[in-house]
Amino acid sequence: MPEKAPPKILVIDDTKELVLGLATLLKAQGYQVVAAYDALFGVSLAHKEKPDLIILDIGLPAGGGFYVLRNLKDSVQTLDIPVLVLTAQQETDLEAKVKQMGAAAYLHKPFAPESLLVQVKEILK
Amino acid sequence: MQELKENPYKKFNLAFALMVIVPFLVFLYLLTNKLFDFNILVGNIGFILFLTLFLSLCGFYIGFTILKNIFDKILIYAAQAKHSDQLKSTFVATVSHELKNPLASIKINIYNIFAGFIGQVNIEQKNVLGLCQSIVERMINLVNGLLDLHKIEAGVADMQRNELNLAEISGRQVNELQVLADKKNVRIIKEFLDEGLSVWGDEGKLSRAIINLLDNGIKFTPENGAVTLKIYPDDQFAKIECSDTGPGIPDDKIGLLFNKFERLNAAKEGTGLGLAITKDIVEMHRGRISVESQVGKGSKFIIILPRDLRATQR
Repeated sequence: MPEKAPPKILVIDDTKELVLGLATLLKAQGYQVVAAYDALFGVSLAHKEKPDLIILDIGLPAGGGFYVLRNLKDSVQTLDIPVLVLTAQQETDLEAKVKQMGAAAYLHKPFAPESLLVQVKEILK
Repeated sequence: MQELKENPYKKFNLAFALMVIVPFLVFLYLLTNKLFDFNILVGNIGFILFLTLFLSLCGFYIGFTILKNIFDKILIYAAQAKHSDQLKSTFVATVSHELKNPLASIKINIYNIFAGFIGQVNIEQKNVLGLCQSIVERMINLVNGLLDLHKIEAGVADMQRNELNLAEISGRQVNELQVLADKKNVRIIKEFLDEGLSVWGDEGKLSRAIINLLDNGIKFTPENGAVTLKIYPDDQFAKIECSDTGPGIPDDKIGLLFNKFERLNAAKEGTGLGLAITKDIVEMHRGRISVESQVGKGSKFIIILPRDLRATQR
């Protein structure tokens, strides 16, 4: 019987150093990681790769994270992919807003790597 | 943009006088003339009427010009205020993005190296990485503290007011810091004398104020000491007292405690913003904060909040 492929995670964030850190962290836990650095590429990669989880930054170039989230939740192909939102923005009601838009979880930057791993495991359970 | 120093309202009285009092005097003159047949300006009545009409028009015109000037200045003030608000928002957004993203990147990459995800790390290298981690944490605390302070000082507009049970929110803050206290072998004693005591306020902000006091107490209390959080009603007020068995604060330093960036003990980690933020939060809730301290015995911070729900509403 073929071994089950590890869960695939798409990271969409324009801070390349953070994507590198996230990819290293997640790969060390056995996940597959693919990355996009802007909103448009992120949406197209989500449709192409069909990941098990998307880690999405809100402050993205070429459309912004809200555009990506709206687009993912409007498409039947990507509707069921859980999205973990990361943001450095300060608005008090941001968490409620992204959860209302369909995000599965929310973390504020700079986050503890352990908290991210807990959230990822929880979502992929 | 044009620098405005004079108060545009100062000239309002003059404008009012010119526009209202001059025509009134003319009216009075005509009335006395008609009723008492008394005319101090003997001569051609047509000329006098023309003169009074001319004077009234002049008064009205000058008054109107002054009022227009006042409103123009008000418009410039409004534009300046809007520009200033936009600058502040841009500043916060820039700080959030340009500082938090690099800090998040540094934090996660140090974690990865420390955890050995990139290769073997020896003990000495781990020690250095540990130092880097604590510096990054200090910077994160500083950035968060500055942004919180900015948000709080920007006003009470984003206060989410609700009826809050003080025992409940205080209990949650104690739970949050229990691990930190256990690590230092410091006991946290809860003395909630009225479990139903409530105030009207912003849960996030009041929680922040309470956690700041508890965190300070734990930080400055030596091993085997205790931090006591007491909550009780006092007439029209709710009181939150956080006392510790730390080294205490000398009298001459107490006045500096709530200043921004004031760190009375440089050996302890901190940004010097916690108590300034706490004071701002308490004052936003129409409350007061004070401190009693004895060197060698400990300190007690007392927050007094009005219990009357309407007192904190604006």
